[in-house]
Amino acid sequence: MIFFIQRFGGLIGMVAVIAFFAISLPDTFLTVRNWLNIAQQISMLTVVAATMTVVMVMGDFDLSVGSMASLAGVVAASLFLQDWSIAGALAMALMVGLAGGLFNGFIVSVLGVLPFVATLATLTIFSGLAFFISDGRTIFGRDIPEAFGNFARSGPEIGTVAERALVLPNLVIVAFVVVFAVWVVLEQTSYGRRLYAIGGNREASKLAGIKVVQLRLTAFAFTGVGAAFAGLMYASRVASANPTQGDGLMLTAIAAVFLGMTLTRDGQPRVLATLAGVVVLGVLDNGLTQMRVDSYVREILVGAIILAAVGLSAIGKGSLLRGLR
Amino acid sequence: MKKLVVQKVSRRYGTVQALDGVSLTIEAGQVHALMGENGAGKSTLIRLLAGLERPDDGSIGLNGDTLLEADPAVMRQAGLRFIHQELHSIPGLSIAENMHLDHPYPTRLGLVDWKALSHAASQALERLDLAHLNPRATMTDLGLGDQMLVRIAATLISSEGAEPWLYVMDEPTAALTAQEADRLFAVIHELTKQGAGVLYVSHRMPEVMRMADCVTVLRDGHHISSRNLSDTNARTVIEDMTGRDLRHLFPPKSAIDPAAPAVLKVRDLEARPIRRANVDLQAGEILGVAGLAGSGRGELLRALIGAIPVQGGQILLDDKPAENTVAESWANGFAYVPRERRTEGLMLRRSISENIALPHLTDLARASIFLDQNRQRGLADKMGKDVLIKATSVKQQCNELSGGNQQKVLFGRALAGQPKVLLLDEPTRGVDIGAKFELYRLIKEMSDNGLAVIIASSDLPELLGLSHRIAIMRDGELAEITETDGLTEADLLARFYHQSAPQVAA
Repeated sequence: MIFFIQRFGGLIGMVAVIAFFAISLPDTFLTVRNWLNIAQQISMLTVVAATMTVVMVMGDFDLSVGSMASLAGVVAASLFLQDWSIAGALAMALMVGLAGGLFNGFIVSVLGVLPFVATLATLTIFSGLAFFISDGRTIFGRDIPEAFGNFARSGPEIGTVAERALVLPNLVIVAFVVVFAVWVVLEQTSYGRRLYAIGGNREASKLAGIKVVQLRLTAFAFTGVGAAFAGLMYASRVASANPTQGDGLMLTAIAAVFLGMTLTRDGQPRVLATLAGVVVLGVLDNGLTQMRVDSYVREILVGAIILAAVGLSAIGKGSLLRGLR
Repeated sequence: MKKLVVQKVSRRYGTVQALDGVSLTIEAGQVHALMGENGAGKSTLIRLLAGLERPDDGSIGLNGDTLLEADPAVMRQAGLRFIHQELHSIPGLSIAENMHLDHPYPTRLGLVDWKALSHAASQALERLDLAHLNPRATMTDLGLGDQMLVRIAATLISSEGAEPWLYVMDEPTAALTAQEADRLFAVIHELTKQGAGVLYVSHRMPEVMRMADCVTVLRDGHHISSRNLSDTNARTVIEDMTGRDLRHLFPPKSAIDPAAPAVLKVRDLEARPIRRANVDLQAGEILGVAGLAGSGRGELLRALIGAIPVQGGQILLDDKPAENTVAESWANGFAYVPRERRTEGLMLRRSISENIALPHLTDLARASIFLDQNRQRGLADKMGKDVLIKATSVKQQCNELSGGNQQKVLFGRALAGQPKVLLLDEPTRGVDIGAKFELYRLIKEMSDNGLAVIIASSDLPELLGLSHRIAIMRDGELAEITETDGLTEADLLARFYHQSAPQVAA
């Protein structure tokens, strides 16, 4: 019984959440339009969580992704102010993400600082940089090129419902491409498999001749670039940039990876499971909003649900109930 | 025929001469057993062979060429492979992936070629008759024994570098069940049939008698003997291993009044993996707990201190049922010295006094709430004198102490609360002979003062030299209790196996 809950509890929970909303919101929840809406809402989180998975596979994590997302948005917007081209500004912002990620990787892997401490510090640094560059203001309006803002709002039409066009948002397509890329890296290259080996048993990996230091360092680059990427998506979606707009992404992304881990057999992070975790969080947010649950109460509920999912899957693995095995 | 020649190697660590002029020759196609008690120098020799350390003196040669470098890569190139008792496997990955940890994955267009990966793995497994293992299954699904076989098979995956021809196995059966060990023996047989040599490090007589072609015995860093198994027998080998005069190491035993009431009564105790245990213990008595690894030696102590939940039966201390959490057990008069002093025992970076005071903080605090540093130091000073801790002061950090002194800190902690029953798990493991001597005196002194002591140990001379009676664990069951008088190591070993039912994985 405990084994069953531990193995499939997460999946059952997810189905239950969707079923609950489908019954409570019969007219609006299970519609293509609503799901496209959810997909767009979660696209930024998807990118952050997918690239977060890369480091969590090794047993590390990165707290600085939220402020990196803010920083990247601010960097791009400031460069727009300097009349940079869209491509140039975006490339620069992504370079900032890469540099930040490598910096995290250097501190964690080469200097050997715990990821919690190291990325907590860089969280503050990146956030400070974002305020410094933007002077604490939101950059918006005519300063943002129209094409940049339009990108998030448009996308290919995939049909019509009730005489209104259904648009598959570009952001969703981008998110899918990122998930696919991370999936290939983690599941189909020896690079990714080495990362899993490090997460499974770092000492064994080292003894087997795996270059643990280099791999850990580079893995953080994925998370940095992913965070910057998500920051740009966010900036495009709201056609503006301010130094705090990405901050909420970090905790939710880590929560999504943890939720995903409850679905996998060995409790390992896997990127498709992470995607499922993101979807659950998106669905919860969407459904509870539609049911007009107060936003503060919504946070309490979402937190409790994450705790319940992770807690249930810990039963049988954890020590408290070990005697019952 | 390939041949590894170890010639007069010596290695010293600080003041300890771990190896002193040891020579041996290992040939391909043979199982060469390396035997000796704890501290005999087996592990040091393995570290030298692995290229992890350089000998102070002497040489290691392959077919006449000297392998000088202390470099694991050189030893690997020479065809040596090491199978350690602690398995380094990655639980979440598949068998095939685990076998490719130190080989490059086969790839196609830069992506992992899963088919080729499984194929390479299953070919290697087949060479050792392990075709029943599915390379796509995850490592988590395998028992320790099969994991070890997978590690061995992994060495057969062809890669650049010399073909492996010599396997060094360090106590490979230590954590295996009987059937798993049998499968390992079959694989070793297969390896030697294919021309490989095996250096088999163990102190288990029956295994060695069954498989080895020749046996080398080390004792206290010296080479004692190398014999063909056909020319020798178990008795001679055991004499070689234990040859030192042990009469002076152990203090004489005191007699116990047979009419004295029992302090501790254990009735049908069941606490997984302990299946059943019954024993009475009198004040002043020392009870040894013996058995193979995995038989439940240490777990019996853990159940008594409350670290394993009790499922059935009773533990009575002075005829009162003992409560079953660790904190209550300490409060009731149990004290425990765990096996792994660095991970289970000490806060290594804290002072001696904090370590000793740890379980007694409430008693030492003013009004049971506010910490009293002076009382803690006073207690530590007193205990430090009682147990002969050698340190600059009780404020010294524990990681600056030698193994023996660290162990004494744990003894001080255990004895500080004036316990009625002292539980010791491998009390002298990794402790030098001088500290051993002092710990033995201490145990004897405490028991003379009326403390009941239970010692779980893999060190047979220690059990025989200290305890009044020895309880033998088999497969989680306290199978028998025997008087120590007149018992020999060989008798004791025989009893480990006696009626040994097929083992259940612990």
